[in-house]
Amino acid sequence: MNSRESVLLKNADRPGPAGIDEYGEWGGYRSLHKALSMEPGQVLDEVKKSGLRGRGGAGFPTGMKWSFAVADPQTQKYLLCNADEGEPGTFKDRIIIEKNPHLLIEGMVISAYAVGAASGYIYLRGEYPKAKDILLRAIKEAYEKNYLGDSILGKGVVFHLHIHCGAGAYICGEETALIESLEGKRGQPRIKPPFPVNEGFSSKPTVVNNVETLANIPYILEIGGDEYAKIGSPECPGLKLFSVSGHVKRPGVYELPMGVTLREIIYTHCGGIRGDRKLKGVIPGGVSTPVLLPDTIDCPMDFFHLGKVGSMLGSGAVIVFDETVDMVKVCLRITKFFEHESCGKCTPCREGVSWLRAVLERMSNGSGRGGDKDLLTEVSNNIAGKTFCPLGENAAAAVQSFVNNFGDEFKEKIKSG
Amino acid sequence: MITVTINGTKITFVKPVTILEAARAAGIDIPTLCHHDALKPYGGCRLCLVEIEKVPRLQTSCSQQVSDGMVVRTETEKVVEARRAVLEFLLINHPLDCSHCDKAGECELQDLAVKYGPATGRFAESKRKYPENFEDPLIVRNRERCILCSRCVRMCDDVQGASALCVANRGSKAYVEPFSGGRYDCEYCGNCLSVCPVGAITSRLHRHGYRPWLMEREVATVCSYCGVGCSLVLQVRNNSVVRSVPGTDPGFNKGILCARGRFGYDCVNNGDKLSVPLMRRDGELEPVTWEEAITHIAHRLEEIKRDNGSDAVAGIISGRCTNEDAYVFQKFLRGAIGTNNIDSVAGLAYGPAQRFFERIFGQGVTANYVHGISNSDGIFVIGGDPTAVNPVLGLQIRSAHKKGVPVIVIGYPGGLKRFSKHTFITSSPAETVLLAALVSEVRQMKSFPGERPAFDEIISGLQPVPLKSAAEVGRFGLNELIDMANTLSNMTNPSIIIGRDIVQTSTGHMNLLFLAALAYLLNGKVYLLSELPNEQGLLDMGCQPDMLPSGRPLAIESFRKRCEETLGIVLPSTPGLDYAEMIEAAHVGKIKALYVMGEDAALSLPDTNYVRDALRNIEFLVVQDRFLTETARHADVVLPALSWAEKEGTYTNLERRIQLTRKAVEGEGIEEWKIISEISKILGLDTGYRDVTDVFAEITRISHIYREVTHDHIAGGKCMWPYGGGPLRHDAHIEGVDLPDIISVMKNSEAGGVHVRREAHLFHSQNASRFSPALQSISPEPYVKMSEILADRLSIRSGDYVKVSTEAGSITLAAYRDPCLPENIVLIPPFEKGGIFEVTKWKVNPLINVPVLDGSRATIGE
Repeated sequence: MNSRESVLLKNADRPGPAGIDEYGEWGGYRSLHKALSMEPGQVLDEVKKSGLRGRGGAGFPTGMKWSFAVADPQTQKYLLCNADEGEPGTFKDRIIIEKNPHLLIEGMVISAYAVGAASGYIYLRGEYPKAKDILLRAIKEAYEKNYLGDSILGKGVVFHLHIHCGAGAYICGEETALIESLEGKRGQPRIKPPFPVNEGFSSKPTVVNNVETLANIPYILEIGGDEYAKIGSPECPGLKLFSVSGHVKRPGVYELPMGVTLREIIYTHCGGIRGDRKLKGVIPGGVSTPVLLPDTIDCPMDFFHLGKVGSMLGSGAVIVFDETVDMVKVCLRITKFFEHESCGKCTPCREGVSWLRAVLERMSNGSGRGGDKDLLTEVSNNIAGKTFCPLGENAAAAVQSFVNNFGDEFKEKIKSG
Repeated sequence: MITVTINGTKITFVKPVTILEAARAAGIDIPTLCHHDALKPYGGCRLCLVEIEKVPRLQTSCSQQVSDGMVVRTETEKVVEARRAVLEFLLINHPLDCSHCDKAGECELQDLAVKYGPATGRFAESKRKYPENFEDPLIVRNRERCILCSRCVRMCDDVQGASALCVANRGSKAYVEPFSGGRYDCEYCGNCLSVCPVGAITSRLHRHGYRPWLMEREVATVCSYCGVGCSLVLQVRNNSVVRSVPGTDPGFNKGILCARGRFGYDCVNNGDKLSVPLMRRDGELEPVTWEEAITHIAHRLEEIKRDNGSDAVAGIISGRCTNEDAYVFQKFLRGAIGTNNIDSVAGLAYGPAQRFFERIFGQGVTANYVHGISNSDGIFVIGGDPTAVNPVLGLQIRSAHKKGVPVIVIGYPGGLKRFSKHTFITSSPAETVLLAALVSEVRQMKSFPGERPAFDEIISGLQPVPLKSAAEVGRFGLNELIDMANTLSNMTNPSIIIGRDIVQTSTGHMNLLFLAALAYLLNGKVYLLSELPNEQGLLDMGCQPDMLPSGRPLAIESFRKRCEETLGIVLPSTPGLDYAEMIEAAHVGKIKALYVMGEDAALSLPDTNYVRDALRNIEFLVVQDRFLTETARHADVVLPALSWAEKEGTYTNLERRIQLTRKAVEGEGIEEWKIISEISKILGLDTGYRDVTDVFAEITRISHIYREVTHDHIAGGKCMWPYGGGPLRHDAHIEGVDLPDIISVMKNSEAGGVHVRREAHLFHSQNASRFSPALQSISPEPYVKMSEILADRLSIRSGDYVKVSTEAGSITLAAYRDPCLPENIVLIPPFEKGGIFEVTKWKVNPLINVPVLDGSRATIGE
């Protein structure tokens, strides 16, 4: 489908995970050898040069995040892998872990070397028991081959890797909530600053990176940061996994260069809309990102351009709706999700999102009242800009985008009710 | 320097503060709900949002720190809108039941809604419904009113360290609940209740009986439960204490109280309190007039003095009496009766321990700030659980532990279970061996400070005891012990916190010597736990058989003479009997008259039967108390006294902080000092005091450590003695300290059997808690705690009733399995009925004259 050989999706189409030997045959852990022959600062420079930005959703420049942790004078540091893949529509990290676990492990060891972390945790989504078994076996293999342990490749580099399974809270994908949860506390976000890079896990400097971000690291080391930066959009280059779901002919995970347009994804890679119906709307980056109308699908998919059309790249989870879809119901479903996943720490998210859900529910049931559309706008405006973390913010933005883009449908609901 | 502009006003700060702090310093009000001064910023309620120039989003002022040049606006349209939005969100599920909510009138949400909130709501759905929870005896929880600010949970976790509460569930279904479910299973400090901004956590004690605007008076006073002396405020209506709350001026306890301070005030209102004097006629106590009672007492005392000599009369005073009561009491016994037979509960452990340390290091050596504990670099706790004896002091240890300060606990850790690095529980003789070994160990690692050569010599003369022997005797792991000894040796300014259990043993004198050596070698500060509010004051006032006021030995003639001159009376020069000696003397009929002021001797001494016999043997027993206590039941005359909330006076806490107790309500009795003055007058010594300030003025004339203190000075709460800078005694006289024969202790400790040890109990502390229905309701049943091994061997489950027998007696108690106890130790707290004193044989350690608790071995089960 694309000329480049798969990097992140290597082995994705074969049954079962790649073992360490197989991974080695493809050149696996060669980047680690290369990295350990460099100074940690040089590894960091390569990552900086690559222009890699976090693949979890926020798109923070990875090299910059690392350099903050490196600059902290404390010597004990941690590397955490955020594998709490919970954004509805997103299923890209799972495929990396389940098909090519050593890619993640290699990425983590290199990253830990660069930031100076001697231990790391993979915070794995609780609903991924198969991924856990696969990772446990892979970690064991890596220890046996001396890719993990007290003297990696006999070079005195220490890195120990552990797995911690989440307990089903979406909010624990937020990095500070993840840390709280890892520390055994209630999963809810912390006040920032201090940022995790200075005061994270156990109050030590901590780098939290997404699975996909870390899985890019061996490739960056292999081809060099400059070369990597040439892939895709110049503003935010690199490889990106897109989880495409909804009314397309070929849903699935696609490894494409950053900056590919939605049109290309939907019509070229995914074969177009199911039943050749008309496209009604598309969520470009998981339910946390505002829905787009068909007239914006020529926008390049990257952190930079999607912002310009009022949405975000998020985790790259493309959800496609055809003309048959009831957008009020979609909005209700998304709001229900956020209501269920709100941690309850801050007032606007806890109370406001459940209020939004109540209004949407009655609209959906046909018992909407006059003024409900405006109420949705006002309540979501009252949430927006006041929440503790992006969860409530995104819930409000989602409702706003649905009401703004499909306002007539909302009005229609009230009338028909 | 950080200069910040808030609403156009420029303010400069030296240190970074939060925007909220900065605004408050500038007199600008920013509304908050989840913020509390005692807690870390949380940023949850979102009420305190403010606009910062060049920052697109509104920021929470409670968490955002100011930076130089920052421009903040707190009343822009955007901010006001946000505030209104947040309040609307908070109110959509908050019930509007203010009319019958106990919090109305002091509810933060109510106040904010009135000030900033929308007038009407737009929420058309039904609110969340939960039943109110009444499963707890003291605390009512109302989930509907809860606004999830989590102040209670954070208070419980971060300040109290009890971690008894949690936020359960998520989002709009989240709620606060004790981990234990319906009922609280915690220390009942009630600090969750005092930080709750709404009516979600309320007290059952004044349910529907409290309206803030109906309170007639608020009286700032000092708690009367223990020697820490926390500041609190009593709120009064209809001559009744309706509620006790931490002061608005946070005092040195910083707005924190323990269960006793918060809920124990109901002993003031207890309906069983005495209101008229009682006199024994034909074997029964019958009401008489004050005049009758006082005249009778005076005449009987005079008779006994005439027939048997002054020394046939003795007096015991409680640590609950004020300095003024204590001062007048000793003056009466010395001046009007002519005896030095005076002692107090402080004579059972606190006094002898202090005396021992002062003998080596000089007066005031145990006077250390409670706040100093969390600033030390190590903490060594022995002889009782501080979180039960002096709970607010105990919090200092917890907070030190959280900061990473190593905490070593010798003895049952109780509330320090999760807050210590090393814990060693063993029998009393094995503790002594352990201390000896620790001194040997520390001695090897540390050089002598060289300040007290005589003490250096004593320490050098101590028999070295290897850790291995201590490990064997105490059944400890040797490695663990070595680890602990290393931790201890690395301390450079530790707090050494000593409870009474290490004093009230046959080897108490040795323990004190070893502890003094540790304090000396480690440069430690010594804290003596004090179970009663004024034990220190009693010592200061001279309620000791051989000490005059301000801790001057009777034997120093110059001081005695000066007292005599100042007071115009003659003081007896031979030392009197101490508490234990009085009981023994009563037993053999040598004490004919005993005047007991507020003390329940029958329940505060080991071997209840022995003490009862002694009391029965006394020809004329006078008890002055608020209730008909066990001791009062044996009395010939009982005089109703006043509680601490019913009179004025001063207490001196274990730090030597002199504090005022203020009258909150009118009582039915008469102040202790006044009763004594009346009797004294009949006996020919007219004290001439008009009120309590006259007594205090005389104290400051007599005592150099209270010199120049006035009630006005004390009111500031920072009045420590020696106030006028008077000299303290430095007359260390360590010669004559016996070197302990540790070998024989080791031999003794090898003897098997089950040791009964006391467990300090938070809700059963001396006699005041006995008269607080609230405290009694928390854990009313006496129990015995035992190890799992012992319980398994005897097939005992938690909750089974077992018989505990010793040579002193036997009691049947509910069993409680505690995995942290070793096999040979059982713990029994000092309950009124079924308490440890019923199974401890009367025995006195003659070297420090304290009745000991370690005399008997117990048999468990039938």
